[in-house]
Amino acid sequence: MGRFTTWFYRMGSPRWFFDLSRPWLVGFLVAGIVLLTVGTVWGLGFAPPDYQQGDSYRIIYIHVPSAHLAEALYVAMGVAGIVVLVWRMKLADMFIAVTAPVGMAITGIALLTGAIWGRPTWGAWWVWDARTTSVLVLFFLYVGIMALRQAIPRADQAGRAAAVLAIVGTVNVPIIKYSVDWWLTLHQPASITFTAAPAMPPSMWVPLLVNFLGFYSLVAAFLVAGLRNEVLRREADAQWVRDWVGRS
Amino acid sequence: MNIAVAQVRRDFLVAFHARADAVHPVAFFALTVVLFGLGMGPERHAMGALAPGMVWVLALLATMMATEGLFRRDFEDGTLEQLLLHGRPLFVAVLAKLFAHWCVTGLILTALSPLAGLMLQVPPEGLPVLAASLALGTPALTLIGAIAAALTVGLGRGGVLAAVIALPLFVPVLIFGAGASLSAASGASPAGELLMLGALLAAALTLAPFAVGLALRVSQEY
Amino acid sequence: MNRVRRGRLTAAVFLLAGTAATVALVLVVLNENINAFHPPERIVNGTAPVGVTIRAGGMVMPGSVSRDAEGLGVSFVLSDFQGSDFPVRFVGILPDLFREGQGILATGQLDASGTFMAHEVLAKHDENYMPPEIADLAAHQSADP
Repeated sequence: MGRFTTWFYRMGSPRWFFDLSRPWLVGFLVAGIVLLTVGTVWGLGFAPPDYQQGDSYRIIYIHVPSAHLAEALYVAMGVAGIVVLVWRMKLADMFIAVTAPVGMAITGIALLTGAIWGRPTWGAWWVWDARTTSVLVLFFLYVGIMALRQAIPRADQAGRAAAVLAIVGTVNVPIIKYSVDWWLTLHQPASITFTAAPAMPPSMWVPLLVNFLGFYSLVAAFLVAGLRNEVLRREADAQWVRDWVGRS
Repeated sequence: MNIAVAQVRRDFLVAFHARADAVHPVAFFALTVVLFGLGMGPERHAMGALAPGMVWVLALLATMMATEGLFRRDFEDGTLEQLLLHGRPLFVAVLAKLFAHWCVTGLILTALSPLAGLMLQVPPEGLPVLAASLALGTPALTLIGAIAAALTVGLGRGGVLAAVIALPLFVPVLIFGAGASLSAASGASPAGELLMLGALLAAALTLAPFAVGLALRVSQEY
Repeated sequence: MNRVRRGRLTAAVFLLAGTAATVALVLVVLNENINAFHPPERIVNGTAPVGVTIRAGGMVMPGSVSRDAEGLGVSFVLSDFQGSDFPVRFVGILPDLFREGQGILATGQLDASGTFMAHEVLAKHDENYMPPEIADLAAHQSADP
């Protein structure tokens, strides 16, 4: 068995994850707080203003990372959904359970900052164009996954039903991503891509990158913390959990 | 393909004996159209621009209502279990079942839509496109709604939950469906929107039967 | 062929045919104008309907913006900078980004004289951000090649 395969099967054990993840939690949390503080202060206080939008463009330092995460978390949930249905991995099921509320909150932040940005620049809080509408749909998909999980009493069945919905909902992600290219939308195309140089000078995109990493780290810390709680909750009857509680 | 024919025949037979299941969504549609007409009051003449969108939303809600309980009867009497166990391709049976279901719900709504459009002051030139957009849109809605229905079939009262799950996925269909009728009502060509509806229907036809099958297996397992 | 294999074959053929149909339809759609959005050319050549609420867009023609002495009324010309342009009349508060050369989306009705009576004006900005100094520099460079 290859190294990855071994790792993959070990991740099937909630206990193994729990024993290993404490340093991850601390690491992500510290990195997230430091990076977000540096990036936000830099972006809001020291990055130059935009030649057209002046200071109002600075909301990208919150809006862009959160919008990006909102999509990325959903894709991660879709992948976890496949893992749940194919390998019946408990940890992947817990991942969906923990990610749905976090993803919903992050999507909410993206929508809210988008509205605040839209008012001065476009001239409207909200427009029904393809990008904004598809992100709103993403928000409701997160809500649907949470509602479905809560409605089904049996945990394992709830997990698999949520996995099916997570997979079905991923059809929305390419729509969000490409809506700005396929249709004429008020929303501008992406400023930062992995394939081309950023459409802004380093004095603007470096703080954005710092905040990007900060958002990712902080959300990773939330997810690890949530997963640890979920592991404890579901394995509450196991001996190792009792031992762990006894020790701490 | 005997399974498809047998499934369609059986579902038509069931629909004929349980006529209320088909009548209720249609009655809901007709009544909400009347309520809208009354609720708008004397400004009815100004409704023209809004009306195609209204008819679309009402037809969408009626379809959701009809689709939500699609598998419940079969789940309760064990037919669904037989469907999952018979070893023939599940998606064929699902497609046949959804076709039969659409014939007694979406098709009737489509046939009634020009009348509903007239009552809500849709300009006459918009009516054929309204019906055409619903003819393409309601089967797509049925296919998508069936995924939610299959996921919630084991839950006693899954109606609202199925709607919460399915309605976000209805959004693209609604946008292009209402868009086609609005374009036609304002004198523009609705061809682009109708083609897009066709593309959505083709995508739903291709993917939804498998998603429904998967969801039914998850729901039936216990 | 046994039953399971035949089932799989049916599914594969079905998926393939469905995907092909979807892709083909999407490719046809991409050639249609489904934005309900009319560029200046369509307004000028009479393709856009008169007296119906539509969305029109274009760039604000430099030097064309004139504000009323009283009230919030403003008139300007939207152009594609390729020979087509049309006048727009709007009463209300313009977005911050409204300026000459900016891309604008307006919702409203075309009247019989060819003036677009807008009731909503939205500014579209692009994905390029730069500090003012660099923007000045870029303007100078393009001015004297």
